[in-house]
Amino acid sequence: MSDLNLLYKQAILEHNRNPRNFGKPDAWTHHAEGLNAICGDLVEVYLTIKDGVLEAVHFDGESCAIATASASMMTEVTTGLSVAQWQARFAQFKQMMDKRSQDQTFAELGQVSTLVTVKKFPSRIKSATLCWYAVDAAIHGRPTATTE
Amino acid sequence: MLRDQFPGLNNQVHGKPLVYLDNAATAQRPLAVLDAVNGYYLHHNANIHRGVHAMSESATELYEQARGSLARLINAPSPKDLIFVRGCTEGVNLVAQTFVRSRLKAGDEILISHLEHHSNIVPWQILCEQTGAVLKVIPMNEQGELVLDDLDRLLNARTKFMSVVHISNSLGTINPVKKLIKAAHDQGVPILVDGAQAAPHIKVDVQDLDCDFYTVSGHKMYGPTGSGVLYGKAEHLNAMPPYQGGGEMISKVTFESTVYNAVPAKFEAGTPNIAGGIGLGAAAEFMLSVGLERIEQRDHELRIYTEQALQQVDGLRIIGTAAQKSPVFSFVIDGVHAHDIGTIIDHYGVAVRTGHHCTMPIFQFFGLAGSCRASLAFYNTEQEVDVLVESLLKAKAMFA
Repeated sequence: MSDLNLLYKQAILEHNRNPRNFGKPDAWTHHAEGLNAICGDLVEVYLTIKDGVLEAVHFDGESCAIATASASMMTEVTTGLSVAQWQARFAQFKQMMDKRSQDQTFAELGQVSTLVTVKKFPSRIKSATLCWYAVDAAIHGRPTATTE
Repeated sequence: MLRDQFPGLNNQVHGKPLVYLDNAATAQRPLAVLDAVNGYYLHHNANIHRGVHAMSESATELYEQARGSLARLINAPSPKDLIFVRGCTEGVNLVAQTFVRSRLKAGDEILISHLEHHSNIVPWQILCEQTGAVLKVIPMNEQGELVLDDLDRLLNARTKFMSVVHISNSLGTINPVKKLIKAAHDQGVPILVDGAQAAPHIKVDVQDLDCDFYTVSGHKMYGPTGSGVLYGKAEHLNAMPPYQGGGEMISKVTFESTVYNAVPAKFEAGTPNIAGGIGLGAAAEFMLSVGLERIEQRDHELRIYTEQALQQVDGLRIIGTAAQKSPVFSFVIDGVHAHDIGTIIDHYGVAVRTGHHCTMPIFQFFGLAGSCRASLAFYNTEQEVDVLVESLLKAKAMFA
């Protein structure tokens, strides 16, 4: 498998082609825009949080395959989590994507773990992490996030 | 062969020969420039305009010779009309703060164009915040050419300064700057031309253009990073206050007052980028020895070839199709984000830039977040363009 296939894995290409929970929903309680302006990656996230639970997680925007696939996977893995659980996943995700860390994955992150190989392309880590920081911003009431 | 003069082109990336098509971001440097920089550090390493010792004198001579080479390259009346700066960004900021600022009052206007790099937008926005002046913009069309129909209205009694880019870094459009300079002068408006992308590609003659200021970035024209020159008409430079205070720019300092040095030293506070300046002079001499006509001819050939070659990629759309164009190709491909294209073709050795290229208003006009940009220089080859096309086809296949 060439390096390029480690970045553009089939699962990532598939999520990019058919992103889940993609599109602006009719209603939401929390919203933020994740923007990496230099790269041209835009991921908008729309959350419905009720009684401390992420009942729905949607996204849209125009971004590269890595950012799109990461967001798609993230929505599937995090829908239904409590905000506290989401924060624990976010911490695990940050640890997994940290350039300095080993290629450690976490069972709780499910399919999101497939993104660990993006670390072999350091300039693309920011694409994979954008949606997570956007959700974090939305939860904390910040309108925007960037990972550039 | 000219290409052999650029050792940076011999690199391999990901085990493939480098295909360097990111020249609008920064060019490769010829041996003559590398030798000049190294030669200064090895044999003339001393501060300039200060010492009485031999190396200080020889370093000063090299630095001033470099100024002379730059003056010849852009046909300035005198080397004294050139100020060494870090690049065009500093050139624009210098003019904004020392020439334009004192001429402005609230409600006055500064005119730029839609094709500007952020470095020829933001310094004017800062100036507008400082003075209450208003920034006006010459619009552009779908081809990425300036629309001059309303120029008479845009250039009016409130207009106090104009600043336009000679060649667009993201679309390659060559602007009709001579016509714009004439139009500005007909209204009594002084004008700066941002020549960052022009100096490496076309013959620049500041006397023929009759512009008030012209900026050049060294690293775009095969010289060192952090080097550049600002040309200004002598009458302006002599009347302008200094930009920064410090050593070199003074002739006498007491605690009560300071007498400034003469132009250009007045604008060159502190020990300058000596090696960079000397290297930039070598770049100018290199370009003069190659010949601007030859560079322009090669640019033309590469532009025609690339334009046709890119048509082999289905769903590829070139952004910016001006009649007068430098070999710069911004493009998008249906179904593949620019960022992904950049990563994939890098894998095949092809270096391009992706994103907004520091020209966000241009991409807002086209409704795009950004593009892929292949920018060529005279040392690129048709074979390299073929590698670009092949790698783009592979990127497309991957996303099919």
